[in-house]
Amino acid sequence: MYLGKTVEELHELLVSKKVTPLELTKEAIEALKKEETNAIETICEKEALEFAATLVEPEVDNLFWGIPYVAKDNFSTKDILTTASSEILKDYVPVYDATVITKLKEAKAVLIAKSTLDELAMGGTGTTGHKGTTYNPYDPTHTYKIGGSSCGSASLTAQGIVPFALGSDTGDSVRKPASYAGLVGFKPTWGRISRYGLFPFAPSLDHVAYFTRSVKDSAALLEVLAGEDLAHDATCSVKPVEKYTEGLTGDLKGKKIARIKEIDESVKDKVILEGLDKVQKALEEAGATVEEVNFDQKLLAAVYPAYMIISCAEATSNNANLDGIKFGPRVGEASSYQDVMMNARTNGFSELIRRRFVIGSYSLFKANQEELFLRAQKVRRLIVNKTNEILSQYDAILTPCGGIVRNPFASNSDDVSDRLDIHTIIVENHLGIGNFGGFPSISVPMGLDNGFPFACNIMTKVFTEKETLNIAYAIEKKLGLKNLSTMEVK
Amino acid sequence: MVKYDLDLLKKCANNLMFDMSNDQYNVLLKEFDVLTKQMEVLGEIDGVNDVEPMTFPYPVYTTYLREDVAETPLSKKEALRNAKDVEDGQIVLPKVVG
Repeated sequence: MYLGKTVEELHELLVSKKVTPLELTKEAIEALKKEETNAIETICEKEALEFAATLVEPEVDNLFWGIPYVAKDNFSTKDILTTASSEILKDYVPVYDATVITKLKEAKAVLIAKSTLDELAMGGTGTTGHKGTTYNPYDPTHTYKIGGSSCGSASLTAQGIVPFALGSDTGDSVRKPASYAGLVGFKPTWGRISRYGLFPFAPSLDHVAYFTRSVKDSAALLEVLAGEDLAHDATCSVKPVEKYTEGLTGDLKGKKIARIKEIDESVKDKVILEGLDKVQKALEEAGATVEEVNFDQKLLAAVYPAYMIISCAEATSNNANLDGIKFGPRVGEASSYQDVMMNARTNGFSELIRRRFVIGSYSLFKANQEELFLRAQKVRRLIVNKTNEILSQYDAILTPCGGIVRNPFASNSDDVSDRLDIHTIIVENHLGIGNFGGFPSISVPMGLDNGFPFACNIMTKVFTEKETLNIAYAIEKKLGLKNLSTMEVK
Repeated sequence: MVKYDLDLLKKCANNLMFDMSNDQYNVLLKEFDVLTKQMEVLGEIDGVNDVEPMTFPYPVYTTYLREDVAETPLSKKEALRNAKDVEDGQIVLPKVVG
């Protein structure tokens, strides 16, 4: 029984030959077949078993040798169905691998499945994929969300089936579900990891991100995934990849960490505030000083509308290629190529996606750009400037991931609504600041409430992943909430 | 800003090559009311007109030229393998010219 172990633990077992990659892969695939949260698009059984069987001689210095993992189904995987959980791509089989998939293949990690997501990664509820809702494994009653859009990857990691899973994060799509699923969810700096082969949603905000069950695994995974991709992604940084694992000391002597007053004041659930206070104490014990700072309530409330306009505008343009001609379904009778496209796109995209595209297109009308798209981009700059101002005086910003521990399906959907109060708008959307400015941002578990995990978030300056990870490591070490899974907690 | 109504939203959707039901357009209309109101409030934020729009998280100065390496391009078979209707190595569509 090797489920529920971290990458580090599995590596020990593999190099000491107590288990083989093939045995690990078989066990994980059997667990996938029994899982009950609707987290899987495709099990890559044949490919995974064939690849695992080739891994015979353990590589002592390669932590990911023989480790099973899953990838969100918006990463291009050669010869493996890749749907983005959308009907328009339900039969799409890519002809190339995303760079991160290639890197993991080179590291000899074993891809065992593609996981569900909110359709085209445009959502935060885990309910809008073409296969229906993905459930939170911590909640057998199916009352509370796991969140999205990387819902399937979060669920499968939280169940202990895999020790890590790839996701993508455009607004908070890894860091928010990480909180509901008791995981470490990390989005490094924009441009730290190549986005080649990640289906674009809003490229100026899109990040490759991932789930693990320990900070150390998260640091080790970044060493594999980060780095230039000269042939494919010109926005991917050429900065050298650091030894992130070597920075994990847990020593925060001299570090200054800020808590944002307006975000803390927007938290509804006192359990979360108590959790944050515990985190603050842990940080102080590790040698840091923690202070409260002001951001600006108006600016924080502006994150969500600015995000909507920018992301929808970019998405409208990026998804124009999904036309039902080169790929996608041919639906009904068509007397012109326009009919082919109309039929494919009307039937291939869910209602939510189509509404988002119209919002994006309208924002890009020449006559509307000044008041919508450009204004949203200016607000983005003000928010990023303010964040950089705080980060010029502090090493990191500590926030909650959201305002409530458990998020019921009945509440805040992805619809645009004026029913939400300003506090909810702030506390449920502030993680988007990490995408606006490309800041490294990590969610790390900070508590359990009636068996439901919840996390805090640490954000630092761009390209300071060593710092982000070490602060998260100090929190994990002090709070002892490492390697949570439903196998442990239930 | 262009005034929006159901007709405009429908036109916009059709330009994007899809359609929606009347109920769906009505939901969208309500979303537009909320979003445009929120965007008006954003226009009142101090300094919003004193900054340049932000297109990317930070300036990207990466400049380089790739090595000119010959590669095997996608084969015709691979390029066409996801198209639903293919004949003689070409994607089939309804006739454009009668």
